[in-house]
Amino acid sequence: MKKYLGPLSKENPILVQVLGVCSALAVTAQLKPAVVMALSVTVVCAFSNLIISLLRNTIPPRIRIIVQLLVVSSLVIAVDQFLQAYVFEISRMLSVFVGLIITNCIIMGRLEAFALSHPPVPSFIDGLMNGLGYGLVLVVVGTIRELLGAGTLWGCQVVPQAFYEAGYMNNGLMILPPMALIIVGTIIWIQNTKRNKAK
Amino acid sequence: MKNFSNTYIFIYITVLVVIVVALLSGLTLGLKSRQEMNFAADKASQILRAAGYEELHGQAAADLFAKVAKRGAGEQEQYTLRCADGTDGTVVRVDGKGLWGPIWGYVVLAADGVTIKGVAFSHKSETPGLGANITEEKFRSQFVGKKLYDAEGHFTSVRVLKPGREPQVAAANRVDAITGATLTSNGVDAMLQQLPAAQTNDKSQSAVQ
Repeated sequence: MKKYLGPLSKENPILVQVLGVCSALAVTAQLKPAVVMALSVTVVCAFSNLIISLLRNTIPPRIRIIVQLLVVSSLVIAVDQFLQAYVFEISRMLSVFVGLIITNCIIMGRLEAFALSHPPVPSFIDGLMNGLGYGLVLVVVGTIRELLGAGTLWGCQVVPQAFYEAGYMNNGLMILPPMALIIVGTIIWIQNTKRNKAK
Repeated sequence: MKNFSNTYIFIYITVLVVIVVALLSGLTLGLKSRQEMNFAADKASQILRAAGYEELHGQAAADLFAKVAKRGAGEQEQYTLRCADGTDGTVVRVDGKGLWGPIWGYVVLAADGVTIKGVAFSHKSETPGLGANITEEKFRSQFVGKKLYDAEGHFTSVRVLKPGREPQVAAANRVDAITGATLTSNGVDAMLQQLPAAQTNDKSQSAVQ
């Protein structure tokens, strides 16, 4: 069981492997799109791992990348269609980044490194955990950015009006992409410090 | 590792593609009605915002739109609608080209057919943070109160220009383009030339101040 929990901290895809950073910077200005993006990636990662693992003995190695891309892109298209049908506003906010899940290195990386050589159930769990590890960072960054950048969480005002009257101001820099990079960098720094201490 | 023949590879990938296409087509057809409803509600919400109503989403927007707007006859998509301030307005649809794909918009004109009450723009795939900013309040609010005719009564539409460019265009006929999104801004500029000039020609004299 312990080896499956790695992606949440010690082998986190964003913090340690530094994969999937582009979308992590782009969709975390608010918490809501960050959570939807995290769920989308988790679903795609878990099910593509499951499908590839089920097919692993039939896939000719020469075209395995093509097969992987086919599976991943059809899952992403399916997710995109669902988002457009059920959470239209958020799908607007995520714009091109849902489509770009196809090229997210975390997913292809897990397919190559895990699903091709492991049975379906462990592969599914591995995909799930990597998706959640990615999602965890998105949620943390999204929370910090929305709270400090707009004074809201999940679209609801949380910084009381009295603060603003006392001179508090939202930090406009927080909602710009460079600040996301700085926050992710800071989390990586904390993570590395913790890891080095444990050694 | 097993060795796979070329025939096997061809058959394998063909079968896989056929299965995937069938599944995705089924899914798309199944979700289509819901998506179209969302698109219609989103359009209603944008037009209502351009007409000065509060921001509404989903079914609420569609319901209000059905109450205040009436689609005009004719090929071009056009509506007459009661704006939030109680006056009548005309909504004209415009279509154009952005940097990466189509852009379109709805312009709410006051009853005089000359003054813009509000605009709403949408795009298929403009760059987030640059061209995509044509949908933002900051860009759209510039259009409120602009005129389609210049002081001599000639049709100019509203130009989207870099500040300082073409100084002969009066402030009432121009808005600022978006920095870093020249091609999208030019697309909006060209798109607004489609606004109806002919049918309001007779009123142009009276509306110019």
